[in-house]
Amino acid sequence: MTTDGIDARRRRDPGPRPLPALREHSPGDPVVSVRSLTKRYGGLTAVDDLSFSLYAGTITGFLGPNGAGKTTTLRLLLGLADPASGEALVFGRRYEELDQPARRVGAVLESNDFHPGRSGEDHLRALALAGALPPARVGQVLELVELGTAASRRVQTYSLGMRQRLGLAAALLGDPDLLVLDEPANGLDPAGVHWLRTFLRRFAAAGGTVLVSSHVLAEVAQTVDEVLIIDRGRLVARARLDELADRGQTLEDTYLQLTTRGAS
Amino acid sequence: MKGQLRSELLKQRSTRTNLALAVGMLGLVLFVELVHGVGLAAEYVDSRTEQLEAFGRGEFLGVLFAGLLGALSITSEIRHGTIRPTFLVTPRRGRVVAAKVGVSMLAGAGFGLVASGSAAGIGAVVLGVRGIDVQVDGGDYALLVAGGAAAAALWAAIGVGIGAVVRNQVPTVVGISAWLLFVEGVLAGDALDLGASRFAPGAAAEALSGQDPGTLLAPALGAVLLALYAAAAAAAGWLATTRRDVV
Repeated sequence: MTTDGIDARRRRDPGPRPLPALREHSPGDPVVSVRSLTKRYGGLTAVDDLSFSLYAGTITGFLGPNGAGKTTTLRLLLGLADPASGEALVFGRRYEELDQPARRVGAVLESNDFHPGRSGEDHLRALALAGALPPARVGQVLELVELGTAASRRVQTYSLGMRQRLGLAAALLGDPDLLVLDEPANGLDPAGVHWLRTFLRRFAAAGGTVLVSSHVLAEVAQTVDEVLIIDRGRLVARARLDELADRGQTLEDTYLQLTTRGAS
Repeated sequence: MKGQLRSELLKQRSTRTNLALAVGMLGLVLFVELVHGVGLAAEYVDSRTEQLEAFGRGEFLGVLFAGLLGALSITSEIRHGTIRPTFLVTPRRGRVVAAKVGVSMLAGAGFGLVASGSAAGIGAVVLGVRGIDVQVDGGDYALLVAGGAAAAALWAAIGVGIGAVVRNQVPTVVGISAWLLFVEGVLAGDALDLGASRFAPGAAAEALSGQDPGTLLAPALGAVLLALYAAAAAAAGWLATTRRDVV
């Protein structure tokens, strides 16, 4: 599979972007800035005083047991839910305050957010229209994720792996600087996993930022630069993978030590 | 906002949902006009009021299916999860609701036009074949069709609002159908009639297309009242969508 399109895209001079006001951040500003973020559902505190920042050019794995608050955190970051307190900022603003968010942030939260009776191409065209994105991007991202030949087929005929790639295509429509992916490797075959890993590495190497949640620690260990581990809504560890290796620890040991207290 | 409207239009055109709704609606129009026109004894379909009522079944079906079309425009997105990418691209969710109301009203008007027009046309032909004089005049036809289109457009907006508030597809569809097919009929029943049933949104839609001037509101009053219902439902849907977390 090819990821050449990304390199060519990233190498070009950013030039006069359509949203100059958003380009005023110095290189040191965090791309994602989560401060004291808290979200409650009834009596349950799903996210509990969570703080972290992400910087350009990094791939961060977002780990934690089921129900730890990973997806809720991503939803808060993307403006789909409102926090009880604290804030989650992307490029220094709340997501809903971004003028054309699809040009800054691409996100996939579920692997099957499609109408089964709509073609993959029409799904992307509807999003491109709503986001005022160039119509030509639809064909480009379909080629990028290798769905060109299936573009006019209805999504109900797609395999899980094809749906994952269509979701990624939607996230890439606006040529974003930040990718937020919830379990993107689910349903991908080994070649697809390899392609995704190569893609994310090149995306980050070209200055993009990636936040990716996952349960597959072996895959995470091969892909990310650093991990955030949360448990019961709280951040329990933040570590660079090379530092873990220097200390002679594996990601799995660290993860299990920090997240199974009370269960053992 | 133009891109938003085009996006919603493409969403409505790119699945078979609306086509299936239109086919179902036209089948029912044909069914009811044939049964009324052929099955009823001549003495029950020879007056203007009776003929208006028979032809007006088109208005009713247009309103019902336009309401469902509007509701499905949002509950289908929630059911299939496309609401997430929709709101990621357009995080100002009120704009999405506004575009859905606009496009659904347009499609709903088309549904109302087709249903009212075909009902009146089929009804008149059937009566003509039976040799029954058609008492409905040109002004009546114009009001049936134009009013039927306007009523269906406004009901499409009501559908979007209800769908946005209820969110779950099955209760939304069952609720709208039950209201129009059953609840308003009960409210208008002789035993319960306190004169208030003509202010209900289904009755206002009938009034708007000029039916039963004896018991319903005047067409203009029906139009104003139904527009108020539509505005209230759209506002409720807008509030519910902008204030609540996305499911």
